[in-house]
Amino acid sequence: MAAGIINRVVPSSAFSLGVARVVVHGTFLISVLIASFSALGHLPVTILRPTGVMKILPWSFYDRLVTPSGMTMLKVVMVVSLLLSTAGLFTVASTKSSFLLVLFYQGLLRSFGHFNHDEMLGVYCLAVLAFTPCGDRLSLGQWIRKRKSVEKPAFAYAYPILLMQLLMAWVYFSACLIKLRAGWLGYLSPDNLPSLAIYHSLDNLHDTAFRLAFWLPQFKAYLPVLVALVLLWEFFFPLAVFFPRLRWCILGGGVVFHLSTLFFMNIFFPHQLALYLLFVNWDRFAGSAGVSPANTR
Amino acid sequence: MNWLKIKYALLTVAIFLPLLWAFVYVRNAYPVAAWNVMMAPGLLERGRTYSVLRGETVSGETIDIPAISVTNALYARTWTMVNATVDNQAFKIPNPHPANAELLRESGGIEQLPPGARLPDLLRAWGELYNERLAPTSPQRLKAIRLDMYRWEGGSYANYDNFIQTWRQEL
Repeated sequence: MAAGIINRVVPSSAFSLGVARVVVHGTFLISVLIASFSALGHLPVTILRPTGVMKILPWSFYDRLVTPSGMTMLKVVMVVSLLLSTAGLFTVASTKSSFLLVLFYQGLLRSFGHFNHDEMLGVYCLAVLAFTPCGDRLSLGQWIRKRKSVEKPAFAYAYPILLMQLLMAWVYFSACLIKLRAGWLGYLSPDNLPSLAIYHSLDNLHDTAFRLAFWLPQFKAYLPVLVALVLLWEFFFPLAVFFPRLRWCILGGGVVFHLSTLFFMNIFFPHQLALYLLFVNWDRFAGSAGVSPANTR
Repeated sequence: MNWLKIKYALLTVAIFLPLLWAFVYVRNAYPVAAWNVMMAPGLLERGRTYSVLRGETVSGETIDIPAISVTNALYARTWTMVNATVDNQAFKIPNPHPANAELLRESGGIEQLPPGARLPDLLRAWGELYNERLAPTSPQRLKAIRLDMYRWEGGSYANYDNFIQTWRQEL
């Protein structure tokens, strides 16, 4: 019965899970391609503060890795692995290697700076995809073999998609509860948003340098309402998983929210935003484009 | 099908159990994340320090250097990396880098270290990266790079740039 419900709320074809693989792995592929690893390798390893599991690795390893040539080597390996997993070649192995490499690389970045949550949802999605049959369709391997693999029961493809959607719902829902636990009504203070936004707009160490934050104090009487709406939106985000009619409204709110944090706070979550594509019903999308998901490779 | 259900159940538990732990204790222990972004509300009364990266060109100009233009891979983490370097955080971890441990021994402890003990290394790396992209004869090449630290004292939406300190590195 549970399987029946799952199959109804999320797309349940191998094609849809294949699209999810392309979205998640492709997002990290683009992000790795545009990053200058060799510049990262110029940074002094003595400012590194290994975080979490990154503490397991010895300093001699970081000394060898955090060099221009070491980081370029890491980039080459990551690009090859992510290319294979995005394209769907050797997916059983390449999705796992991509997951482990991204996990390591993201840990390295966090050892230089702070935890930053943008990519974490994507890392968990990589973990889900590494252990699911995401290479059964939309896969170059299928084309090369010139035969389709036998489709598994719908549940095999639907559940991983549901799991990734639930992870995104958890991200927002738990963020709301943690804010309420820590700040409670302080979060609805008129000065909360302007002071945070201005602080993040003063330096030139953020990725963007928008100055819209300095407009906020003149509207500060209205801002608690806006902040309350954001908290409500985060709290009710899980409804997007189970109620397709509400989905586009909630996801639309998410796009507005993330663009607002970019322009007003110079804080952006592009990886997380890209993963909104996991909520698209790709079976229906393919159907409306005249393609049968069952006939794809 | 049963094996598949068991496998998916294990996968779900393996992902969500650590996330629940992180949520309850509001702790980030990579790769386990608690979504505590902007957890503490912003307080106007609270003063805040911030830094601006600048370069001095051979033509005598002082220019702002957005850090993202030098090390874009750090994406969104540069400001905390700089704050941590100013605060000598790399010396405060249980197992510091051998070179940091040696510097700690030589200086007589963390209290004796000046703020930003490793900042000259970071600034030199940034300065060299910046210059690498320019022709050797370019007037835009940097002869020095510096980090200027300011403080917004808080209490009002004004006086954002009270100068505190500069770290300067000749290149």
